[in-house]
Amino acid sequence: MFRIRSRIAQGVVLGVASVLALAGCAGGNNSSSSSDGGSATSGTVNWWSWTPDNDLAAREIAEFNKQYPDIEVIYKKVPIDNYAAVLKPALASDAGPDVYTVNASGSFSGEAFASYAYDLTPDMEKLLGADWKSKVYDGGVKAFTVKDRLVAAEWAKVGAGIMWINKDMFDKYGVKPPTTMAEWESVCKTFRSKDLGCFREGMSGTAGFVVDTLHSIADSTQPDLWSSALAGTAKWTDPGMVQTLETLRTLSKNGILDEGSVGIQQYPDVNNAFLSGKVPMVQMGTWYQQYATVNSLTAALAGAGVPADTPKITIIPIPFPDVAGKGNPSTMYADPDAGHSVNAKSKNRNAAITFALWMGGTKEGQQVVVNNMDSFATLNGITPQFDKIKLVNPTVQQPKLEEVTKRLGEAKDFRSLGMSAQVSQALIDASQAMVNSDKPAAEAAADIQAAADAK
Amino acid sequence: MFETRRISYRTLLQILLTILVIPFVFPLVAMIQGSLAGAGWDNYLTVLSVPLLPGFFINSALVAAAVIVIVLACTMAAAFGFSKLHIAGKEIYFWLLLAALTLPGVVLLTPLFATVTRIGAYNTLWAVILPVAALQVPFAVLLSRAFVDGIPDEMIEAARVDGAGMLRVFWSVILPLTRPIIAAVLVLVFISAWNEYLLALLFLQTPEQQTITLVPQFFVGQYNNDQTKVLAAAVLTGLPVVILYICLQRFFERGLAAGALK
Amino acid sequence: MTTTTTHRPGTATARRSLSRSSRLHRPSGLPWILPAMIVSVGLLYYCIFYTGYISTLEWDGAAPLQENVGLANYAKMVQDSVFWRSLAHTVVFFVATFVVQVALGLVFACLLHSRLYLKTLYKVLIFIPVVLATATVAPVFRQIYAPDGTLNTILRAVGLDALAQPWLASGTMALIIVISVQIWQSTGVVFVLYYAAIGQIEHSIIEAARIDGAGDFRIIASIIWPGVRGTTLAIGILSAIGSLKTFDIPFLITGGGPSYATEFLGTLIYRVSITFSEVGYGAAISIVLLALAIGAAIIINTGGRRGESNV
Repeated sequence: MFRIRSRIAQGVVLGVASVLALAGCAGGNNSSSSSDGGSATSGTVNWWSWTPDNDLAAREIAEFNKQYPDIEVIYKKVPIDNYAAVLKPALASDAGPDVYTVNASGSFSGEAFASYAYDLTPDMEKLLGADWKSKVYDGGVKAFTVKDRLVAAEWAKVGAGIMWINKDMFDKYGVKPPTTMAEWESVCKTFRSKDLGCFREGMSGTAGFVVDTLHSIADSTQPDLWSSALAGTAKWTDPGMVQTLETLRTLSKNGILDEGSVGIQQYPDVNNAFLSGKVPMVQMGTWYQQYATVNSLTAALAGAGVPADTPKITIIPIPFPDVAGKGNPSTMYADPDAGHSVNAKSKNRNAAITFALWMGGTKEGQQVVVNNMDSFATLNGITPQFDKIKLVNPTVQQPKLEEVTKRLGEAKDFRSLGMSAQVSQALIDASQAMVNSDKPAAEAAADIQAAADAK
Repeated sequence: MFETRRISYRTLLQILLTILVIPFVFPLVAMIQGSLAGAGWDNYLTVLSVPLLPGFFINSALVAAAVIVIVLACTMAAAFGFSKLHIAGKEIYFWLLLAALTLPGVVLLTPLFATVTRIGAYNTLWAVILPVAALQVPFAVLLSRAFVDGIPDEMIEAARVDGAGMLRVFWSVILPLTRPIIAAVLVLVFISAWNEYLLALLFLQTPEQQTITLVPQFFVGQYNNDQTKVLAAAVLTGLPVVILYICLQRFFERGLAAGALK
Repeated sequence: MTTTTTHRPGTATARRSLSRSSRLHRPSGLPWILPAMIVSVGLLYYCIFYTGYISTLEWDGAAPLQENVGLANYAKMVQDSVFWRSLAHTVVFFVATFVVQVALGLVFACLLHSRLYLKTLYKVLIFIPVVLATATVAPVFRQIYAPDGTLNTILRAVGLDALAQPWLASGTMALIIVISVQIWQSTGVVFVLYYAAIGQIEHSIIEAARIDGAGDFRIIASIIWPGVRGTTLAIGILSAIGSLKTFDIPFLITGGGPSYATEFLGTLIYRVSITFSEVGYGAAISIVLLALAIGAAIIINTGGRRGESNV
């Protein structure tokens, strides 16, 4: 008896001891941040981000090293789907990155990780002067200032509300980009008679591109309602919103929106279909202008697995059609897309700050970012140098792209800033319900309101 | 197994087998087709010319080898203990072990990260080896225990009557008879270790430490999912495991002969 | 190692060896299971207790502010309709995958123990799906079932246009697809295990039954099936746990949709923990998952052993 009891006791003691040992050891991460942060012009900086891709990052780092040759930047690209999951434990430990990129909102926003970020205000003032806020995109200042601390230095801006069309396809069948619902229906009828799709969108997965579509429809139906609903001064159950949802259903029922959208993903399904010339219209944002360049389009086509001699399409942006028919202007809305946060626990903090501020606060840094055509500048006055960029069809595309740049500068609403992940999910759920079921719009709207209230 | 002396019956069985296998092969064909789309065999060349690829390969092999050694050592001993020996509260220990298997990966990330960095294993292969081994052991024990149950007790009794200690019984009686399950566990654990992605992504910081599962990342851009190269990478990553499986086929056969030792 | 030739009951030698073996009978197995316990329990139990602790918090996983809310997360879970739907999907998934995999695995194992041609090729083809990482095969399946994908193209080519539909847009079809992908990927494992287990069954028994005139079905039902019971139970437990944890396939192919038609506990935990940053709620669901998994394992095991003692 005694022997058996002691054996069980042995086992229990062993288990508890190992748990306690590990718990006790692993619990406290109260190590203080390094006192002086190292040199500001030399050292190794570990940079984690979901964007940009490795080759563009290499270009940016090379440009940075022209000014600061003694700072070694090591880039680790984490796929966007895993970014938040991987960043959380890394920052909680002592072995996290020195610089980590954050988004305006969502699971890896500047706010989400604000507690790990170093306040960049003094260094920003040193770089751009005491009036630095007037020299950069105000959306980024707003998004990345948490409790009066600047937790991230913005370096990329993105916009949405436009659509992109395959100009070659439109020219081939002699149709013009639609500006009203009726025109859109007729354009799609023409395309469908040739066995092509028309407007394709992917609503599957967690990416919420359909939210942009709802936003554009809402702006066409009742301007400012969307931003009011986000701010809480209007309700998602307001008649304008219900009508917006019903309009989405109309798009799906009258042959504009391609069938099966709830089962496909925007990336890679819709993206590949559009770029390889199978679908004439998509709703993507300003980042899509990179596919107006030869390099990016070639890489995209290779990734889509189409033969190397597939013709390169000419894509141009068009404003979202006035689907409500009330004459309301087509809008664009913008967000700060990325900002660099500096890990307060970093041992090379000063070098990290140098790099973090360089990309968004200096002309050189911004020019590299902007010339890649997937992001817009946050520093005032920086535009793409078209003479250095090879467009697929410069005469057609360049004026349109410059127009988008101008419209983006005038955008006053935000794209995702201020939208919680729960509301975003509720909007996606409502869209799926409108397109894939008979659920009444009022009910779907009520669900969105419930998600907004739950916070 | 089946009666195969009559040709007509044998043909019927062969056809049945083929029909059943077709649904399994169809997606594989689609996958190979996908990997050859666009640039064709160049996709494979591009994947093979990823810098440090041999290093990734070696790291994956090291991880897999270490995990296999740890898991097999723990598992066969534990299977023997659970199945044939006396332990007070045996089932409780067993359920405790099984509980370790049930947590989904995403939940494990933060506490595992705390544990691993605290023991100083961050950015070393051990950061991947230890958690993977810990997760595989319950699974392997569950399978091996069932198998060891099937070894007749009389064989052990006979050996012990001969004067053998438990260690000798284990080494000379149990192990030879468990070859088939060792082979099965080896392959399955190898696959898990070889394909481990999330932990490798989390814990391996520098390319010198990274494993082959992180290769597709090179081809997944922020906007651009280069599916062709990802598939090519997947095919290349899967080849070593398939080869290992084919080689281990003999081990499966040998277990049959050993059963006739009695 | 030779086996001894004693054991003639009634002789003095036999009696002496029997009493000696009963004294040596069943030494302690504790040292044998200790390495496994240390490796698994030692490394992972902190995670379990940590998760349990987190489940009582309302926390976003990053901020130092953690609000203790006791069992509020569990109450929230009980009221969450998506949680119950996930559970329902898990049950359907488990039953479907278990039944089909066992049937297929057993049939394959029996067939491949027979004298047929090209056995190694078949064994390899069945097993390759197991080897491939889910993240890389999921896009292939999405492509197959896409509105303009391989399946619809084939259907149109053979004139079955009416059947061609956006498969992943239908909730029911999406669930069936997810189940079929899991079957595709895991039957190889079941096969390998049954193959090993059948190999353990003594040939002499099967030969004897055959001489007695038993047909193939009878042999499978009366000899093979009971003979691999232990393996079947183990597979049942692993299937149950796997079904509860399932994440990769639904996440990568359908994203849990459309409209949560393929949401499982694993995808729900991810959505709640990572997308919504409600780490406490996610931890609560994980603890429930753990309890369900152990419960299922105990039920399956007890049910199985009871059946065994009835034999």
